[in-house]
Amino acid sequence: MSRRVLAADDGLRIGVPVPISGAYAANGKYATMGAQMAAEVVSKASGKQVSTLDLDTEGKPAVAVRKVQDAMAQNGVKLFAGGILSSESLAMGKEVDRGQGVFMTTAGADEITGVDCNRATFRWSVPTYGAINQTVRPLINLLPNAKKWYTITPQYVFGEGLLKAAKDIFAEKGIQHVGNSYHSLTDKEFSGYLTNAMAAQPDVLLLLNFGSQSSDTLRQAISFGMKKRMAILVAWASGLEQFEALGADVCEGIYFGAQYWHTADTPFNRDIVPKVREKYGSSPNYSFVGSYICSKLLLDGAVKAGSTDGPAVAKALEGLSYEGPTGREEIRAADHQVIKDYYLLKGKAKSAMKDKDDFAEILSSGKSFLSPEQAGCKMPA
Amino acid sequence: MNVVDRPLIQFGLAVAVALALPFCLSSGILASEVLIFAIVVAACNLLLGYTGLLSFGQGIFFGLGTYFAGVGLTRYGLAVPVVLVGATVIGAVVAAAVGWLSIRRQGVYFVMLTLAFSQLFYFLAYTFSDLTGGDNGILDVPRPNIGGVLNDPWAYYIFVAVCFVVVFGLLLVVTQSTFGRTLLAIRENEPRAAAIGFPTKVFKTQAFAISGAVTAFGGALHAMLIGVAPLSNIEYHTSEQILIMTIIGGTSSLFGSVLGAGFFLLMADALSTIWPRWLLLLGLALIVVALFMQRGLWGLVEKASAALTSRKAADKDAREGGHV
Amino acid sequence: MIYLFQILNGVGLGMLYFLLAVGLSVIFGLLQFVNFAHGAFYLLGAYLTYDLVSRGFDFWLAMPIATLIVAGLAALVEVLLLRRIYNLPHSFHILVTVGLALVVQEVTIILWGPLGGSVPAPDGLQGVVILGNFVYPEYRLFTIAFTAVLAGLLWWLLEGTRLGAIVRAGSESHSNMALLGYDTLRINTAVFGFGAGLAGLAGALAAPIRGVEPFMGAEALAIAFVVVVIGGMGSYTGALVAGILVGVIQSLMTTLWPEGARLMIYVAMALVIALRPRGLLGRA
Repeated sequence: MSRRVLAADDGLRIGVPVPISGAYAANGKYATMGAQMAAEVVSKASGKQVSTLDLDTEGKPAVAVRKVQDAMAQNGVKLFAGGILSSESLAMGKEVDRGQGVFMTTAGADEITGVDCNRATFRWSVPTYGAINQTVRPLINLLPNAKKWYTITPQYVFGEGLLKAAKDIFAEKGIQHVGNSYHSLTDKEFSGYLTNAMAAQPDVLLLLNFGSQSSDTLRQAISFGMKKRMAILVAWASGLEQFEALGADVCEGIYFGAQYWHTADTPFNRDIVPKVREKYGSSPNYSFVGSYICSKLLLDGAVKAGSTDGPAVAKALEGLSYEGPTGREEIRAADHQVIKDYYLLKGKAKSAMKDKDDFAEILSSGKSFLSPEQAGCKMPA
Repeated sequence: MNVVDRPLIQFGLAVAVALALPFCLSSGILASEVLIFAIVVAACNLLLGYTGLLSFGQGIFFGLGTYFAGVGLTRYGLAVPVVLVGATVIGAVVAAAVGWLSIRRQGVYFVMLTLAFSQLFYFLAYTFSDLTGGDNGILDVPRPNIGGVLNDPWAYYIFVAVCFVVVFGLLLVVTQSTFGRTLLAIRENEPRAAAIGFPTKVFKTQAFAISGAVTAFGGALHAMLIGVAPLSNIEYHTSEQILIMTIIGGTSSLFGSVLGAGFFLLMADALSTIWPRWLLLLGLALIVVALFMQRGLWGLVEKASAALTSRKAADKDAREGGHV
Repeated sequence: MIYLFQILNGVGLGMLYFLLAVGLSVIFGLLQFVNFAHGAFYLLGAYLTYDLVSRGFDFWLAMPIATLIVAGLAALVEVLLLRRIYNLPHSFHILVTVGLALVVQEVTIILWGPLGGSVPAPDGLQGVVILGNFVYPEYRLFTIAFTAVLAGLLWWLLEGTRLGAIVRAGSESHSNMALLGYDTLRINTAVFGFGAGLAGLAGALAAPIRGVEPFMGAEALAIAFVVVVIGGMGSYTGALVAGILVGVIQSLMTTLWPEGARLMIYVAMALVIALRPRGLLGRA
């Protein structure tokens, strides 16, 4: 099976397993664009031929795993950058590990670099602990009089992770947690939960769901006039793509947590934002940049290692420090978690926007991570 | 009866498919998936084609088989044969219960009831995440170690192919038995079958149990194939897909289901690589099948075979100096 | 107090569910046709409203235009496609309408992109009504009132007019209708367009509440099926009662047992079929 180990002139190939059809198609679309751009950049810098192989996971773990297995067995692909949903990413990480490849993802579940960590899997995005600590903490400081918080949580491990991290901060800071509503991953109607929230009369409404569910909750909360009665924080926003779908009127005055924001003043952004604007006519969003950086790190790692063999690339990545989308970023060797900033944003009024993508201002940013031991990662030798 | 509908020919075709797939497909995973879904779809066909029951709940049994394999293999370290038998039994028991409750209603109400059950089981799997892993699913489901070749897709394919041939053969036996003929009689005219003295409800429940058993068996094979027992296997979409494959394949013969599963999976795999909006083409394909190929893919085979035999007969007539 | 409020909210939800389901129910009653594309018409109604409003049209203009376009498109689909398959078994109804739903969903993504968007509540209805500790959006109150008036109109149309009598006679027996000299083909087309138009209207009304995204049709379809089954297929009053019942169950459960809110809807549906197979108010 090692026939395809990188020879001198052999091209590099990276698999991009993302949901291209199905309910997460929007993320998949930008992710394939980001990976494509990374391939072009690396090709130019290294002089090697670099290509991407888009794999439609349909958002289903079973399909994702099959496509990854196929890409490894048939096309000899060993590098994989993708996985939007936690369920598909966890399953693919295990599969790539079995196939001696290397996989980098932006999915949210703590287990990816926690209890289910493995040699082949890397994660660029900040897990739940950091997302909560970089949003709830600064917001408590910003709003010292807001003592009562209410949470709305999707009932599964990811939501529970966010909720636990938030509760720990509430306890530490003497915040009163006046209630929580659990909902399922298929809910679209949140008025009932919002009614529960209003009955508890909180100062802050903390939304711990993500994607279209957080958009639905937010729209409905605003129609209930909750924006005027309390502060609202969406701890895990998906970035620019979500702002576009919501529109400036909805986002104004709302607090958002974000993995990436294109106006952050970093060398990476100064370089890439104009390029993307020129090419696609809009600023890079989280799906684009997440996929770009995962692909670029893997490809650079393969060039450096002189091989696409999983363990060799993983070794090249472990401990690496680089100029990333959020500034200086570092890949922690012990659990393969990238140590990077997480942002607290606040939605701007439409009149204050400098261009069509200027939906929010950055209030604060910083790094918060559990140690690998606390996260529960026992890296297999 | 059309020549190609004879059980021995059907069985021969199934064996031929199992032997031919390795030469037609480069992916052992995809080949295994085709055969796994072929038996799952054949089980659905037993209900739709032979009993006239349009079940929107096949995903329940598929998901149950998946979870049984996932839990049994990862938490209790059960042996593979034990897991397969256990999944089959669970599938039979739950399908008998779901079937018994659903067949009390007929027509569209029956369909809706199976749909309600499929949603019910999805939310049960979602809610009891300690057992099922919830949205993350059950990871690290091991593949059986066959002949010392661990994790090679084609080695597992051989295992799946043997299972496929055996199960398909057993399903053929069922359809050819007195039991199977009674099902057909019920399908054609239920009041008459009941009047003759057949306990039609018992027969239908038994058909459900057999169908559920085979579907859960397929689910267990699938979990071992992809190494994970995901929540999406018990979703309503899985039920819908199994049903669509059954109808596309054609319900007049069991082998139609093999065609349906193969056609659907291979087409989805090919289309998804050429156009992100491939579901649009799939949608159009479904409409075309319903409008112009109501006997499904198998109907085309039957037509071709009928044309061939009649030409042969005509040739024979001509040679013997008969009127053409 | 909170229970009272959840009931009010549930009624609001239920009226939208009713509107969504009644079209499906009428189509089934007359045509004996299982329509898995009903959610797609809801999706189209919502997206057309979104499109028109973002082009600067007034919501009050966008809503009826979107509804009429959906009704027209549905009638066209009926003439070109569906009337060829009424006599086939249900499995083909499912195949065609599932295919149709996929086509509509993907075309939506091609035309409007995969992201979705928001539709602002119309001017004058953007505020909230304050009731003690609770607030309720004016727009949601409007939808309750609007659908209530519409429900009355529909009732009159189906129970009090000649057209309604024909449709009801048709659901008893199609051949009777033809014997009486009615053009059943045209009536079928009209009823299908009408039912789909109601789904489109539900989508248009829901757009300011839910926003739009390309996969909103599937959820709407699931809800519509539940309502129709509980209420009884072909029954107008059944759709109304069941719509409100489902809305109230869903809303109350979010306070009582949020984890099981969705589960309970399907438990209710299974119970109703088991105990009253024709639904609460279905014709025997």
